[in-house]
Amino acid sequence: VGGVCRVGWGTGPPLLQVPEDFISRELFDTVQVYVITKPELQNKLITVTAMEKKLIGCPVCIEHKKYSRNALLFNLGFVCDARAKACALEPIVKKLAGYLTTLELESGFISNKESKQKLVPIMTILLEELNAKGKCTLPIDESNTIHLKVIEQRPDPPIVQEYDVPVFTQNKDDFFNSQWDLTTQQILPYIDGFRHVQKISAEADVELNLVRIAVQNLLYYGVVTLVSILQYSNVYCTTPKVQDVVDDKCLQEECLSYVTKPGHKRASLRDVFQLYCGLSPGTTVRDLISRYTLQLQRVDERRLIQFGLMKGLIRRLQKYPVKVAQDERSLPARLYTGCHSYDEICCKTGMSYKELDERLENDPNIIVCWK
Amino acid sequence: KPDCVMKKERVLLMGKSGSGKTSMRSIIFANYIARDTRRLGATIDVEHSHVRFLGNLVLNLWDCGGQDTFMENYFTSQRDNIFRNVEVLIYVFDVESRELEKDMHYYQSCLEAILQNSPDAKIFCLVHKMDLVQEDQRDLIFKEREEDLRRLSRPLECACFRTSIWDETLYKAWSSIVYQLIPNVQQLEMNLRNFAQIIEADEVLLFERATFLVISHYQCKEQRDIHRFEKISNIIKQFKLSCSKLAASFQSMEVRNSNFAAFIDIFTSNTYVMVVMSDPSIPSAATLINIRNARKHFEKLERVDGPKHSLLMR
Repeated sequence: VGGVCRVGWGTGPPLLQVPEDFISRELFDTVQVYVITKPELQNKLITVTAMEKKLIGCPVCIEHKKYSRNALLFNLGFVCDARAKACALEPIVKKLAGYLTTLELESGFISNKESKQKLVPIMTILLEELNAKGKCTLPIDESNTIHLKVIEQRPDPPIVQEYDVPVFTQNKDDFFNSQWDLTTQQILPYIDGFRHVQKISAEADVELNLVRIAVQNLLYYGVVTLVSILQYSNVYCTTPKVQDVVDDKCLQEECLSYVTKPGHKRASLRDVFQLYCGLSPGTTVRDLISRYTLQLQRVDERRLIQFGLMKGLIRRLQKYPVKVAQDERSLPARLYTGCHSYDEICCKTGMSYKELDERLENDPNIIVCWK
Repeated sequence: KPDCVMKKERVLLMGKSGSGKTSMRSIIFANYIARDTRRLGATIDVEHSHVRFLGNLVLNLWDCGGQDTFMENYFTSQRDNIFRNVEVLIYVFDVESRELEKDMHYYQSCLEAILQNSPDAKIFCLVHKMDLVQEDQRDLIFKEREEDLRRLSRPLECACFRTSIWDETLYKAWSSIVYQLIPNVQQLEMNLRNFAQIIEADEVLLFERATFLVISHYQCKEQRDIHRFEKISNIIKQFKLSCSKLAASFQSMEVRNSNFAAFIDIFTSNTYVMVVMSDPSIPSAATLINIRNARKHFEKLERVDGPKHSLLMR
């Protein structure tokens, strides 16, 4: 974020800049029609990119007979490099426009000669603090303080299903505090990386959809990530990312500390890597355990799987039943389209894996795909 | 006979911020009364309006905001855009201005740009807000300003007017300005003269219908008040606006005393006419019939005569 400028009418300089002369005369002339605008563009957030700079502002018009020319027009905006992503600044610009409007309506803050002097120091503080800390506390006068924060834009989180398993990405204890909402506080103790959403809902006694929303919220802030239900009949396979465990020292460190059985000596990279590579289509977790007993002496296989899923080193191969011929008797047919995994079907119908397996094995009209 | 071609004339309205440009434009072309202009806000950048005048003339008015930041812009990045193809430059000076040097500086920058881009443009300087000057000082002050402006404008020529939105002087200036732009003005005057002579009128005036600016006149008798045209424009326009406030539209008026009779009536689709008769033996009915018969002739004139004149021929 570079300078901050304000433009207004009447006596005094039309353009106040912090730092001074950040915007050249030429640039200002080019964009001024988008800074102090005609009525159609007033009170709208306007971003103009020109000559290597990006200006984000919100022109405000306050109409009143008391002003010379019957109206006060002003615009407090931010200037940054043209390539910078400025969307996080937009809510701040809007908020400031609102604050200044209220201050003007209540006490003539901008039109009054004396209080106008405060604008440059205010803009200076804004610039320094937002750049340094990403937030700013601005005392305007004895009774008014403005609080601003640059909030990072994050992408929308995926929808959370009842068969998804939330797992903390960092130390669980860091998140146990009262800043979270009541629902989240209630479900936090049940998030252990193994309970799936439906189970959390049952055990925490919170309605399923609320749990889904709360987990989605945690997902948005990167507090948790989603993995799948862990069962010993699960099948996983490696992804190309598994190489990172060898190449990336940081990841390696993290991995080895995570998967080592508590109370044991640290697991070796060799063992862990062999275990990951042992996961392949057709091999269940049970199979892995029986084949690699030696390597698993110091390794917690559940945490091994969990870490692999969280970091994208391995992925789960799910079973999807597809109905290939019409038959009245077998139900529920709507779930056998090839789009619904065993996890989902079991969650939704309450059947166990074993039950579902038995049912489907005996049905000649249904084929099971692994993907 | 071919349909007349629309002639578009670009008229630049410039001057310092708050000098009265938008107010003037609103009164002449937008049916504001002087009091209404108090509500107007500052013009941002340029306000464009297209005004149809006399059927075949379009005034492309550029009301340019006078704030310093805009003015600087007009002379630099927007220079070619603004000053090209200008037919008329109207520069408004606030007579009360305390920044005479700055005003002149901007005016001269305008002239420079005009000289470069539209050297044939006609220049009008309006010394405005004269109502704020003491009555006995007005002539003196205006004369001084006029001399200064004519001197500063060389080699270009400018016509100067003193104006105020509170009296008829506004109409005089704008009538003179628009008169310059009317494409077939000589023919109009000739026909008006014939008409006046035939019906034995003392004087005949032709007004543009919406603005009530006098666009042509003929007089056969000496008249006392040289400012009567603009006074009549002002009075009738005010009356017309008052009528419209009552949802009535003004059509015609007859004013009569022992010395004269004046008839004001709708004439063609774009004009009003005023006929002044001082011969008491001629009855109203006769004059009204004459006006009615003349209408068709003038209506034809308006339609057929397109803008045959170019800038050079004027």
